[in-house]
Amino acid sequence: MNRLAGFTGLPAQIFKISFIAIVDAILIAMFFASTHKHATPLAIVIALVGFGTNFVYFAKFTLPFKFLFPGLVLLVVFVVVPILYTISMSAFNYKTGNEISKGQAVTQLLQTGLAPDAANTTYDMVLGKKNGDWAALLTEQSTQQVYLGTTTGTTKLDKGTYTLNGIGVAGSAPGFVPLTADQTASADSIIGALKFPLGNGQFIAPQSADVAVLLTQSLVYDPKTDILTNTALNRTYKDNGDGNFANVKDKTEKLLPGWRAFNNFRNYTHLFSDSTVRGPFIGVFIWTVSFAFLTVIMMFGVGFLLAIALDKKIAFRRFYRSILILPYAIPSFMSILIWNGLFNRQFGAINGLFHTNIDWFNSPWLAKGIILLVNLWLGFPYFYLISTGALQAIPAELEEAASIDGASPRKILRLIKLPLMLQILSPLLISSFAFNFNNFNLIYLLTAGGPTDVLHGKTAGATDILITYTYKTAFGSSEQNLGLACAISMIMFFIVGSLSLWSLRRSKVLDGF
Amino acid sequence: MHAKNLWKHVYIWILIVFTLFPIYVVIESSFNPTGSLASSSLIPSRFSWVNYKALFNNPAVPYGSWIRNSVMIASANALISVFIGAASAFAFSRMRFRGRKAGLQTLLLIQVFPSFLALAAIYVMMERVYTVFPAIGLGSLGGLLLIYLGGSMGVNAWLLKGYIDTIPMELDEAARIDGASTVQVYWLIFFPLAAPVLAVTALLSFIGTFNEFVLASLFLQDVNKRTVAVGLQQFVGAQFGQNWGPFAAGSLIATVPLVIVFLSLQRFIIGGLTQGATKG
Repeated sequence: MNRLAGFTGLPAQIFKISFIAIVDAILIAMFFASTHKHATPLAIVIALVGFGTNFVYFAKFTLPFKFLFPGLVLLVVFVVVPILYTISMSAFNYKTGNEISKGQAVTQLLQTGLAPDAANTTYDMVLGKKNGDWAALLTEQSTQQVYLGTTTGTTKLDKGTYTLNGIGVAGSAPGFVPLTADQTASADSIIGALKFPLGNGQFIAPQSADVAVLLTQSLVYDPKTDILTNTALNRTYKDNGDGNFANVKDKTEKLLPGWRAFNNFRNYTHLFSDSTVRGPFIGVFIWTVSFAFLTVIMMFGVGFLLAIALDKKIAFRRFYRSILILPYAIPSFMSILIWNGLFNRQFGAINGLFHTNIDWFNSPWLAKGIILLVNLWLGFPYFYLISTGALQAIPAELEEAASIDGASPRKILRLIKLPLMLQILSPLLISSFAFNFNNFNLIYLLTAGGPTDVLHGKTAGATDILITYTYKTAFGSSEQNLGLACAISMIMFFIVGSLSLWSLRRSKVLDGF
Repeated sequence: MHAKNLWKHVYIWILIVFTLFPIYVVIESSFNPTGSLASSSLIPSRFSWVNYKALFNNPAVPYGSWIRNSVMIASANALISVFIGAASAFAFSRMRFRGRKAGLQTLLLIQVFPSFLALAAIYVMMERVYTVFPAIGLGSLGGLLLIYLGGSMGVNAWLLKGYIDTIPMELDEAARIDGASTVQVYWLIFFPLAAPVLAVTALLSFIGTFNEFVLASLFLQDVNKRTVAVGLQQFVGAQFGQNWGPFAAGSLIATVPLVIVFLSLQRFIIGGLTQGATKG
């Protein structure tokens, strides 16, 4: 076996080791890049992939995994992890206004819950440092009272303990080192974050390099009780268990922003209990199922009849066939966009051909009809092809025996061929149903789910199927509700998954192990 | 013509007209200098290349980049995913190990979960990747390729396993008696034997990627990084009447090579299609 020689022994070993060394080097570089940017989950994934690679390709007993590993890694990272993430997000209130973590939400609430005091107290400020920490000399404009502010507290300075500078503002004091002009100019980023507490929820906050104001923290957060209090309005806000702080006395008054909170799978229950969610969902669901069902029947009917018509003894059979499978060969997104153009009201060839002026996509029923028609165009060649295959698989003896018994060709077709075909093709019919159940491109590129009845406040369009509805729910322009979208995704997965498993069990594909 | 077969001819011709109608309109409007579909007659009156030229002279419509992006990502995906699929299918078909059956079933179930149902999750995930590795994060062709590759094992392993099961084991055994290792059997026996079916799998994967719209449109925001599918959709969607002519030209340029390859390989592609049906 000289031909094999090149693949064994030392050269193969060297090739393998150097290849894995390169992979390792890349992974290690990526690992440090991630830790450097504090992307811990990413770093963990990269580390796991690295360890896995070295283990699988250097251990002796992992032979099958040497073949499976690359595919497995990609599958886990880019398919399984997103699925798990989808499941977890579906249990959260995760939508516009509830996108950040609770800690971030509290921080933002506290920042916005600041108010200047009634007198609008303003200070002239000289920024500097005390004992190496940020500090400021603050001269109140109306009273000329001077304070020394540090990040831990603010003290009143008596006259004589400070000296005024040229413009009548306190400029130096013992232990206080003012910034030079250059340092002040480059301290911009720090100024916004500085606060000099006064006690009682009040503090002095710099507004620019030389002015500060007195601010009152009207919202106060108590981490122990997890309660926010608005001291100015005397209101108490509690975690409402759905990602928002809500007024204890009036539950509908919520503080924004909220956070993404675990909400006990309320996304699922809302689909059935909350009428604003249930209404569109049920409507979309019914149309999805009827569309998928109708379109498969139509495509199969037309394709099957064509298979019979082209079965044998027809002149130009090959020529016809080459033309009739064209829709299957053309990229479907292109065909859908083209059909979209043909039905365009103003410029479309169909209105042009019939000299009509019909607004095809603005009527729910016409739009639904167009969807079925276009999908028929796209799909009948496939059903013609599989029907032809199935017809050829029916033993010729059956037909002969039936015709000897005196059955007419039509009866043979109806009583023998069609039932057998349905049996043979049922797995493909079911998988086609599952495919059309999720036929995003068709709907999105043809009607975009429309026409939408915005006048009656409906969020779902007349031709939206579940998958386009999910897409709009998750990435829509007005409100994005990722949690709800993930819940709908899970329900769809359940429907399509159980359908496919059932059909696979029936077709006995899983028996051959 | 036999009278009994008359309905067949009528039926076939109705379908041929139905099939050819949109194709004809696209070809006609791609050469029609008025650029819109508004012409009331379907008979071509004028002929010009102006729509084709418009695709390559307009910086707002980087059609050349779109084609290059599509071809690049579709070829890379076809090539890599066939290697991944072949290796997995080989392991599942030729080796016996613990978890094999469960693994195959899980693959099937995962495959049923269309990857873009997890769209929201993928989006959030790749947004975070972008902050560390812009080249494989949101908005990059590399990141999109990785996501496509994630699904390749599920699809191709099943598709190819059926075929590999039909290659007789005796060939492997003969090679083994001659002292070949499993890896050698894979590269030197299996790979050449499976080459035709691998080529068809690669082609199908190429067409599938070329056709993919949802992930690409969510992922690729920069106009220069778009694929043909996303680019043309955004382009024609922006101003229908005005852009129809160049759109028709662009869709023809992208489609014709694929259709030629498809028609010349139809015997193999269709063979694979019906195999699944007739086996049941």
